Parts: sequence; C-alpha cells; structure tokens
Amino acid sequence: MRKSMLAALAAGVALAFASQPTLAADKLKIGFLPGVVDPFYQVMQLGVERAAKDLGAEVVTQVPPTWGVEAQTPLLDAMVARGDLNYIIIAPVDKDQMVGPLKTAADHGIKIITVDTYLGDGDYVKGPVKFPLSYIGSDNVEGGRIAARGLAKAIGGKGSVYINSTNPNVSSVEGRAVGFKEVMAKEYPDIKVIGPDFNLDDPNKAAQQTAAVLSREPNLAGVFGTNVFSAQGAGTAVVNAGLGGHIQVVAYDATQLAIELMNKGVVSLVLAQKPFDMGYLAVAFAAADAAGVTSLPPRVETGFAIIDKDNVKDPAIARFIYKVGK
Amino acid sequence: MTSEPSRPAATSGSLGEGKQDVTMRGSIAAPAGAHGPGGGSSLQRLVLFLSRMWAWLFLAVMVLFFVVAVPLSTGGSVNFLTIRNSQNILVAIVPVLLLGLGQTFVLIAAGIDLSVGWVMSLASVLSALALRDAFNSGAPLPVAVLAGLAAGLAGAGLVGFLNGWIIAKLKVPAFIVTLGTSFIVRGVAYLMSENSTVIGLPAGLGAYGNDALIYYISGPGGGVYFLHRPDVGGELLRRMEIILPYPVLATAFVLALTMFLLHKTQFGRHTYAIGGSMDASVRSGIPVDRHVIKVYMLSAATAGVAGFLSTLRFTAGSAVIGDSLLLSSIAAVIIGGVSMFGGAGTVIGTVIGALIIAVLTTGLVMLNVDAFWQFIVVGTVVIVAVLIDQSRDLIVGRQRRGAAQ
Amino acid sequence: MSDALLQVRNLRKSFGGLTAVDGVSLEVRRGEVVGLLGDNGAGKSTLIKCVSGVYQPDDGEIVFDGATVTFSTPMDARRHGIETIYQDLALANNLDVGANIFLGREIKKRWLGGLVHTLDDKGMERESRLTLESLQIRIPTLAEPIETLSGGQRQAVAIARAVYWEAKLMIMDEPTNNLGVPEQHKVLELIRTLRDRGVPVVLITHVLPDAFAVTDRVVVMHRGRKVAEKVTAETNTEELVQYMVGARDDDVAA
Repeated sequence: MRKSMLAALAAGVALAFASQPTLAADKLKIGFLPGVVDPFYQVMQLGVERAAKDLGAEVVTQVPPTWGVEAQTPLLDAMVARGDLNYIIIAPVDKDQMVGPLKTAADHGIKIITVDTYLGDGDYVKGPVKFPLSYIGSDNVEGGRIAARGLAKAIGGKGSVYINSTNPNVSSVEGRAVGFKEVMAKEYPDIKVIGPDFNLDDPNKAAQQTAAVLSREPNLAGVFGTNVFSAQGAGTAVVNAGLGGHIQVVAYDATQLAIELMNKGVVSLVLAQKPFDMGYLAVAFAAADAAGVTSLPPRVETGFAIIDKDNVKDPAIARFIYKVGK
Repeated sequence: MTSEPSRPAATSGSLGEGKQDVTMRGSIAAPAGAHGPGGGSSLQRLVLFLSRMWAWLFLAVMVLFFVVAVPLSTGGSVNFLTIRNSQNILVAIVPVLLLGLGQTFVLIAAGIDLSVGWVMSLASVLSALALRDAFNSGAPLPVAVLAGLAAGLAGAGLVGFLNGWIIAKLKVPAFIVTLGTSFIVRGVAYLMSENSTVIGLPAGLGAYGNDALIYYISGPGGGVYFLHRPDVGGELLRRMEIILPYPVLATAFVLALTMFLLHKTQFGRHTYAIGGSMDASVRSGIPVDRHVIKVYMLSAATAGVAGFLSTLRFTAGSAVIGDSLLLSSIAAVIIGGVSMFGGAGTVIGTVIGALIIAVLTTGLVMLNVDAFWQFIVVGTVVIVAVLIDQSRDLIVGRQRRGAAQ
Repeated sequence: MSDALLQVRNLRKSFGGLTAVDGVSLEVRRGEVVGLLGDNGAGKSTLIKCVSGVYQPDDGEIVFDGATVTFSTPMDARRHGIETIYQDLALANNLDVGANIFLGREIKKRWLGGLVHTLDDKGMERESRLTLESLQIRIPTLAEPIETLSGGQRQAVAIARAVYWEAKLMIMDEPTNNLGVPEQHKVLELIRTLRDRGVPVVLITHVLPDAFAVTDRVVVMHRGRKVAEKVTAETNTEELVQYMVGARDDDVAA
C-alpha cells in the first residue's frame, strides 16, 4: 500500500474518532509489549501514547527488562490473564518461539499487531503464521542494503567490514544482515564481510566483540552495528581503540549516542527507523479494526531517514533522531 | 565430694518454670531461660510462631491486596483470582520453583549452587538437540521427547557430579566451584547451540509443553475436555480455560518427590545433618563426600528438568534462558526460610517463596505498574527474610547455632 | 589381668619432631572408671585418639577385649564398641534427640518390598526415650532440636547415644567443661551409672575434684609419659598436682 494512502487512512480514522466522542466511552484497551528497554522502543511508546490520547484508547504497557522469551512471555501471559485487553501490540523477541504464546492470546480473542519484528516470515496472508492483524515495521532487508551501500561508499569500495548484531532468530536484525550481505556480495566483491557476531543485545558485549575484531583484523575498514545497542557498543569500541575516523561505522538506529559519534566523525551513516510511526499506526490500526475496518494492510513498511553529517542539522531529518522526552 | 543420696526420681518442673532441682537423682531439669513449645510467655510464643509463618502471611496479604486493588484500578473490568490467572501463576512458577527445589537441598547442606541457571540453559540445548536428532532419524515423537529428557538430565547430572566432586574431594568452597562451573557450562551451552538457539524441532512438540490436563469451556456449547486441546474455534475457543498444563504437573511431581526425599528419607535426614554439623556427620559414619556429590547432582537434575520443560514450551533450545533465574531461585529459597548457614529449611517454604515472586510479578502487571518494581519488592523481602531468620534465636533466647555448648 | 577390657602397651605417637605419647601403657578393667589426668599438652588427648582410631600409633599395641587390634578409622573403633565423647560432643544441633542418637544408623521402614525406605521417626523416638529412661535422664521434649537443650542435657544425649549402640568402653574427654555446677554433678552421676552397668569409662580431665568424685584409679601423664598410677582413694590433690606439673615422677616403666 502506498504511503500516501496509508497516511490518509490513518488521518481519516483519527478524525473519525475525534469527531465521535461517544465511542470513547466504550473504551478501547490495548496492551503494548515492546522488546526491551532501549531508546528505539521508548520513542515507539511515545507514538503509542500519543495515538492513544488522540483516539481515546487506554494502553497497558510493560517493558521486559532483558531481551528473551523467558522475559517477554510472563508479561504477555499476565496481560492476557487480565481479560480486558482487546488488542496487544508486541515486538516479538523471537520469530518462532513467540508464535505459541501469541497464538494462545489470539485464541482468547485478543488481536495481535506486531511492530518492528514479525512472526514466521512476516507474510500474514500467505505465510505460515497468519493470525496477527498486521506487521508494522521497517523493511529491514532494504535497510541492510542501504547500510551496505553507504558503508561501501565510505570505505572506498574495498577492505573488510564487520557486522555486529544482537540475537539470532529475530526478524529485524536478521533482515538487516541479509540485506547487507546481499549487496556486498553482488555489488562490492572486493569487500570481505566478517560476522555477524551476536551480542545478545548487550552494548558491553558488542564493544568487546568489536574490539576483538579490531585487534585481529588488519584490513578492517568498516563496522555495521545492526541495532541500538550493537551500534553503540561497536562505536564505543572504535573510539576506545583510537580509530575513530579511520574506521567507518554505520549505525542502525538513530540514538543520541550514535548522532554524537557521527558529530565526532566516528560514525559515518545513521539509519533512523520511524518507531514513533510504528507505535502510532499500531494503535490507529487497533482503533480502525475495532470500528469495523476490514481493509487494513497486513504489512506496513514505515521507511527510513538516512542521516549523514551533511543533513544531520536539517530539522526535517533531525526529528527522526530517537529523543525521549520530546 | 560427697556422693548423692538415693532418691526416687520425682517429676521435674516442666520447661519454663526455670527450676533447677539439684537434688533430683539423675534427672536433668531445664535450666532457667530455656524455652520450647509449651514454654515461654505467650508473647514469645506468638512472636516465634510469626517468625516461622511470616512468609505464608506475607503471601496471603499480598494476594488479598491484589484481589482488592486490581479491580479497583481497572474499574472492575479485571479480576485477580481468575482461573486463567491462577494457571498463569502456576506456569510462571515452574522454572523458579524447579531450580529452587534443588537449591533447597544444597543450602540445607550448607552449600550453594550458583551454576543452576546455566545448567538449565545447557539442559535446554541438549534436550533440543537430542530431540531433534532422534526425531529426524525416525523415532516417534514420544520417544524423541524421552530422548530429550534423558539428554538434558545426563548433561545436568554430569555438571552436578563435577560440582559435588570438586567440593567434597578437593575441598574447594562451593561458592567458587559452582561459580566456575557456571562459566564453563555457559560456554558449552552457547557453543553447542547454534548461536544460542536450537530450532527446527518437530511440530507437535508444542503440545507436550503447552497442553494441559483439563480444558474447560464455560457457557453454552461448552464442556470439560481432558488431555488434548479440543479442536474448537471462535467463541468457544475464547471461553476456553486451560487448567493444569503439563509442565505444571511435571513440576508438581518433582515437588512431591523432593518433599518425600527431604522429610521422609535417610537422604534428607543426612542432608540436614551435614548442614547442621559436618563434624557430627563425619563422626557418625555418614559417607559425607558421597552425599555431597548426590546433593549437587540433585540440584543440577532439577535444573535439567527445568531446561527440558522450557524446550518443550518454546519448542526451541535456548542457551540463555536460565541466566536471570538463578538469583530468583535463591531469593525464593531464602524467603521460604532456608537458613544461609545450613541445617534448616523446608520444601514448602521454597514453594511459598516462589509463589510470592510469581504472584508479585503477575499482580504488578495487572495493576499496570512497571514490572521493575518487582525487583525492589523481592530484594526487600529477601533481606527481611534473613533478618527474621537471624533474629529468631534472639526471640527464643537461646544461643546462636554453633556457639552453643 | 583377665578382667582387663583394654590394654595399651608401650604406645608411642609422634608428630614430626614432637613426641606426644612416649611409651605409655595402661589398662582398663570392666567395672571401673579410670581417670586420665595431666595438664594441657600432657598427651592425654593424643593417647585417647590413638585408642579411638583417629590416629594410628607409631609403636606399641592395643589389646581390646582379648584381641590385638588396629583401628584405621574412628568407625572402626566404634564397631568394636569403643565410643568416644569429645568436648564438642559431635551432635547436630539442628536435629532432635532421636535423630542424633540414630545419626548414621537410622531406623527405617521398608515399603514396596524394599524398594523404598522411609525414616521410622516414631521408632527412633521410642527407642531414644527408653534409653534415656534407663539412664534416668529426663528430657521432657524429645522432638525439639537439641540446641534448645542445656549443656548437661546434650552431654546426656551424647552418652545415651553411646550406650544405645552398646559401647563396651566409654572414653570421655573433659565432659564437665562448660557446664554449670549442678549439671556437672549430673554428668558425674551418669558416669557412675555407666560403670554400674558394666561399661568402663576412661575419663580425661584436668579437674581434680571430678577425678576424686568418680574415678577408681587415676593415671597421670606429663609430657607424653606416664608418671603416676594410683588408686584414687589412696591419693590426694596435692600429690596429684605434683605429678601433673612434673615435680614428682614415679617413672612407671611400660
């Protein structure tokens, strides 16, 4: 679905609700369960809360303290047990292991909307997992491709590059690595790709792993950190090794640290996702569905803002930096 | 010294009267100040009773609090003590309780096992690998599941043996040994898994880990079903309650087994003895080294079961699943009244401790309070538990264990 | 001589360069209480530990109940019927009286044709009560952990344990240490009861009043050697003290 149509749909729904205050009395109750505590999901939460306010919905939010099924599932179960939630917006922390628990929730009548990460293969129409309402997130494969091209350009088309990623079996970072490797293989055969290593969403581990690669790989020219903590950790390792500026770092996720590192010349490219959009749209979809809309797209790609040192000061671009406390 | 005159033994004063009857032949009356059941002031007895039962009381108060607060905060739309919620709590308790059961034995024997979290992860990976391999080479699913259980237990048992052997024979402190093995096990689990997760397990495995004994569908068209998920959809599915999932039953079995073992068998008695006085145990001819090894193997075995059940539940082996559970399991055991010094504690206590943690987490979510508060509350309760344990002796007015002569 | 239950002949034990027991011989007959006196460091504990299997003597022999024996572990000595009660009693404070008396040798009930064994707590409590009563020891609550009992009661439990397992010889190391005066009396009373039942007692002590209260003979050690052996009724405090401090030495040969 084209983005303009999508925007029109969302606006229409918002307006429709805004002009019908009586519907608010039949309160829409939504659960929001992101992956972990980090700036990306915090911005997403801002989107969720804003939409909830605009549309008169009530949101119950719980954020797992660590990334893992054992942390997310109990919170999911508790939300389901409340019995009063109609929708749950979730960023599943494993595309296979979370299918069971979420199917159970769906069986109990709760509709599932996945954000940022998907279940199965992400195709909720023809794929193996069909019960979620929609998947709203970035096209991570495309994002990986963009990152690859950006990094390749920055390092002059040759040398080795290292991918530092978070968890296996998570659709989002998996897609980014896939897209990245695809472009490197097809368009930049002179570039050798090392990794990915998995830091299990721990920036300290990301820094350690990157530091190790830095010391053993003489031709290392670039690093790709596939999410918030990977980019933070990798960038920090590069700085600590005194190689800031000599090794190009491409960061997925525009945290303020990543931008700082860009301003210092350590990071050359930042891919900002649009978590605010994801959160807002997810709530809007829930509201639309509750109102009887049946033409909701099963997949929405929210796009990127590509930030480099040339446009980082441009307010139209800078607004996509993940700032909490807007 | 004059010899004492013969005198028929008269009844000694009952405990608490504090009489010292010097002239009574052969009888040794309780000296002043010693109190026991039936003795002591009523206030002292009340305080002693409270100090033993406080965890139960705390749990009851907490449940009551949530029963009242949850409907209040949601405007009456959500209730706390529902069938679904109680089953949730039981399911949430499974890993913490299993780890805690093994840890109970270890702590009573005055040891500690810091490796259980990672042993659980290793067992999860091993059972996933064995299950997958067995199934892919043609074994029927139930056999493959048994193969998974065997692999998980074997791996766990090996680690437990290693722990126990080094602690008993090489006399290295348990804290250090189990810390060391936890690192080793963590590395092995990670290496054996495929980047920390083992997937590709047979479909249908999920039923073992998620199906339940009883399915109850309320209302019209409903009914009670056993053992397998009834194939219904829509409205009926929505009203279906899942009661006593298999992992809960498995845990209940392990619980019954450990209760029996600890309280009714020589093994349990010797565990208490070793924790109470290693010296007395050695001199009584108890094969202490062998016993210590068995205790650590038991602790690892319960972690093995926990890992196996986790693989069934999520249909994947995960090398990182047990990481955060170690501390929760120790907290549950301490809240339940097992003394850090060894020699005291019960299995029921550990169950209460685990329940407190699970009820707390669930209740906070239902109140829509940030679940991070559970850490603050649990930590506080643990400290309170230790303080109560230490002060119990002060309350009763007797000397600290080990200093008494 | 045929009355001698225990004969220690020329026992020698050294630790490195230090000779703790230097060629000591003694005898314990049935129906007597022998006091083993000496100041700290005289070698009493070491001698006793050789007899009870904690140490193995370097030289000399031990004859018990007519047979020459070597005890390689404490359990060995126990199996022969030598029970030793050390100063720390070796009781488990967190267990009750019955559990302590039966520690390591619990009474069990068999189920399912011997597949499953459970503890027979009632049986153990019953047997404990009978044993305590036969020694005229009154402990009102058998079901509480023994840390609630007084020092004297715990001594009594340790003694009852030895008696239950049919000790043929009882060795007690400073049993009245840390006890209040009335309880000291009780323990001494128990020692007499034991002797009257035919269980000889070797009483290690450096408290002379205890020795005079309860022993038939005394053996004095000083710096690893036996320096005196007297019938209790035929000696007095002053004399014994002189032996203990080394001022007198009968040089009693092995």
